[in-house]
This record gives sequence, structure tokens and C-alpha cells, in this order.
Amino acid sequence: MITLLEVGKEKAGPVVVEEYDVAADAKRRISLRHSKTKYFRVRSLSDGSFLLEPRVLVPPKAIPARVMKMLDQSAANLKKGVVSPSIDLTPFQD
Amino acid sequence: MPFNIRMGVPEMAAVWSDLSTRKLQGTLGRDEEKFFRKLVKVLGFLGADPRHRSLQTHGIDVLTDKYGFKVFEAYLENRTPAAGRIFWAYGPDKGDITILGVEPHPDDKHGAYWRIKLSRLPFVSSKATPEGKKPT
Repeated sequence: MITLLEVGKEKAGPVVVEEYDVAADAKRRISLRHSKTKYFRVRSLSDGSFLLEPRVLVPPKAIPARVMKMLDQSAANLKKGVVSPSIDLTPFQD
Repeated sequence: MPFNIRMGVPEMAAVWSDLSTRKLQGTLGRDEEKFFRKLVKVLGFLGADPRHRSLQTHGIDVLTDKYGFKVFEAYLENRTPAAGRIFWAYGPDKGDITILGVEPHPDDKHGAYWRIKLSRLPFVSSKATPEGKKPT
């Protein structure tokens, strides 16, 4: 079963629900309290800040939004008969 | 019966044009080179026989319903889920196959996120503030 992925849109921006100070351990690790997700996108900023954005695992069969856009455009043009000229693979085949 | 392979417009045609030009110039990166080699191999199979065993071609009902014509998927590599896949359809003329798209998207960054697929949360509740506690 193929799933089409769409990024959810929030009506309002996120709000702060908890704020605390932590110390990194000997291996420079910190623990997140009450974290709702297992995976994060981490952005390390030049001022020493880290920005964590929650992520979820994607079903392997799902089609990413970016690829979906590519398919939508190609399909719309194919319906109109607009495609590229036939490609020549011979220069690239061993 | 051999098929003419055509690229979907505009993105897929641009991707092919870019990769094939840079291949001839010898300026493809290591991962791009690997990807391009797989793509050429698969397109060769597809042009010769769309039902070639190694392509594992199968129809994608959800896309077929969406676009109103039969859309197929073929894998770039066997037994490697992360290797990628192409989406294609017959047409516009008899004897033509049009490549609609390719995954992974060539602009995607390589690395850990290539192997473990992650996405933004579908929805993050904004009503998580405990009562009586004002957000700072």
C-alpha cells in the first residue's frame, strides 16, 4: 500500500511547555524530559544553540512530497502530450 | 518490442539533462555516478522489456486513480529498499514510455537521512500548554 505524505500544518505556532537547565554528562550527552518522539532533526547553530525538530519514521513505501510534486507535474504534462524527446542511452551503456 | 524512453516535463527532463551532461563531462560526484549507473541500467531494461524480472514492475493503484492513467513503479536495485525507484507510464504515443519521477529526489541530501527515512510530524498540537502556566 502506497501512502502519499503530506506535511501537517499548524494553525498557531508552538508554545513553550517546559523550561529547564541541564548539564551534559561526561560524553557530552543530555537527556530530554517528557519527549514525545524518538527521532529529531538537530540543527547546531553558530551561537552554541541546538534546535531540535521532532521527526517520525516514514513508511518505506510512502512517496515523499517532493517526489509527488515531480510526479504531478510530469503526469499533467503527459496528459497534454508534453514530454521530452526520446533519450539515447547508448553513450552511457557499457 | 523496444520502447522509446521519454522523460516527464519539466523536472525529470531537467534531472536527466543535468546528470547525462555531467556524466559526459566526468563531473558527477561519487553518489551521483552510482545513482546514474543504476538509472541507465534500469532504463535500458525498461526500454527493452518493461516486465523485465529485475525491475519488479508493478502498478500503483493510488497514483493510477489520481492521474487517470496506469502508473507503474520499478526498482533501481533488487533487495535494497533504499536503492530507489522510478515511476513511469506508457505514452504519450504507442511505443513510448515516460518516466514521471524518481526517488530518491536528486536534490535530497545524502547521509543518515538517506538510510533512515524521517519526516516532519504530521501534526503537532499547539494546545499543550498546562493550565495556569503562561508560555515564556
